[in-house]
Amino acid sequence: MRLAGRRILVTGGASGIGRAIGARFMAEGARVALLDKAPIEGDGVAIRCDLADTAAIAPSVVQAVAALGGLDGVVHSAGVDLLRPLAEMTQAEWARVIAVNLTAPMLVSQAALPALTEAGGGTIVAIASGAALRPLPERTAYCAAKAGLVMFCKSLSIELAPRNIRVNAICPGIIDTPMWRASWEGAADPQAELAMILDRYVIKRVGRAEEIADAALFLSCGESSYVTGAALAVDGGRTFH
Amino acid sequence: MSTRRFEGKQVAITGAANGIGRATALRFAAEGAGLALFDIEAEPLATTASECRTMGVDVAAIPADLTQRAAVERVFAGIRTPDILFNNVGQSAREKSRLFHESDPDTWRFVLDVSLTTTMLVSRQVVPGMRERRAGRIINMSTESAFYGDVGMVDYAAAKMGVIGFTRSLARELAGFGVNVNVVAPAGIRTRAHDRLPRAMIDMVLNSVPMGFLAEPEDVAGVVAFLASDDARYITGQTLLIDGGRWMI
Repeated sequence: MRLAGRRILVTGGASGIGRAIGARFMAEGARVALLDKAPIEGDGVAIRCDLADTAAIAPSVVQAVAALGGLDGVVHSAGVDLLRPLAEMTQAEWARVIAVNLTAPMLVSQAALPALTEAGGGTIVAIASGAALRPLPERTAYCAAKAGLVMFCKSLSIELAPRNIRVNAICPGIIDTPMWRASWEGAADPQAELAMILDRYVIKRVGRAEEIADAALFLSCGESSYVTGAALAVDGGRTFH
Repeated sequence: MSTRRFEGKQVAITGAANGIGRATALRFAAEGAGLALFDIEAEPLATTASECRTMGVDVAAIPADLTQRAAVERVFAGIRTPDILFNNVGQSAREKSRLFHESDPDTWRFVLDVSLTTTMLVSRQVVPGMRERRAGRIINMSTESAFYGDVGMVDYAAAKMGVIGFTRSLARELAGFGVNVNVVAPAGIRTRAHDRLPRAMIDMVLNSVPMGFLAEPEDVAGVVAFLASDDARYITGQTLLIDGGRWMI
């Protein structure tokens, strides 16, 4: 039980990686609050919140902290993808990707900071992307937001180290989530698209959400006690970071 | 530590007598692994092995100079292929360190042998069995110097960057065989080597570490255990710094 008694907030907890993180953390003894705009099933404190709605974030975090009776950790897992050539991208599309992937982690962290400080320390883990380390075509907004998220974590880790709060990022490769399936199933030749994606990875399979949850657990528990400001690639050997 | 993730696993650790090697051996022992421990220093190696045995695991303590090919082949012929290999052995030239223009090629050879060639020699013995078994974990030891250089230690930095290149190439070769290969790169860890540094230098390091303290060898052992565990099964070819936030690359 590596998270026994820890109180942790997970954004994007309704599906995919966030859902796997919530389940894994609870199995390791944590009390978990899940934030998501979609309906949240299963155990844990469920809080509906659209992370693109900046005004809704702080009250939702306060609600989570109250429900958990304090806070020892945050996992920023909510994210949105956008495959769009620059020439076709609207400003609203760009703004939404930046809002959910970058601005929301900032606002959630800011709202969580008093509780983490009061707890005497804690952990913040952001689910960034391999796209933060190596670019992908036609994903300018996504790559920029995720690279921004990694550097946000690095900068914040310096700021929060005196408060005994460690801040790290995980950079997943392809993970079998609804978001990932949507990225290739709509292609003209989905199987060819999938083969092209897999060809980038030395471990020739798609990753599982549970494998990202395992890494988030590592970065949220004492096993990583001297690791902060890191960007850990969990990507089946793509970035060789 | 209540989890025992390595019951039934065999772990080989080089440079296991002291510091990070010792702490990692104790960590794996606490989690139930059988151990094959190697070091050139027989006496402290025996002490570490005894400490591990108190946790109820089988431990072979094997004194050896792993810079010597014949010695590596001999000692690894005597054990079964481990499930996990931690290539920890390595060191700088310490008191023989010199600025490059004053340095002695014989010193480079020693540093390259102990900090890079040994990792390759030991891996060479273990990889065929891991390929055949289609499972395995190799964790190699590098250092912050590989990325940022170290005045007076060009040989050490070169060797440790060599470890990273070796790791990435081996990770590509072995990915299809269920064998993951990764690197840990610690900095600011309290070990014997660190304790020999002048106080002013330790203070300078401390000032550059956001977390504000030097870590213990156990802080590295935790990361090695993670990379060796099933939790890291989708991680290969990576380098993970354990440095209290000093470099953040």
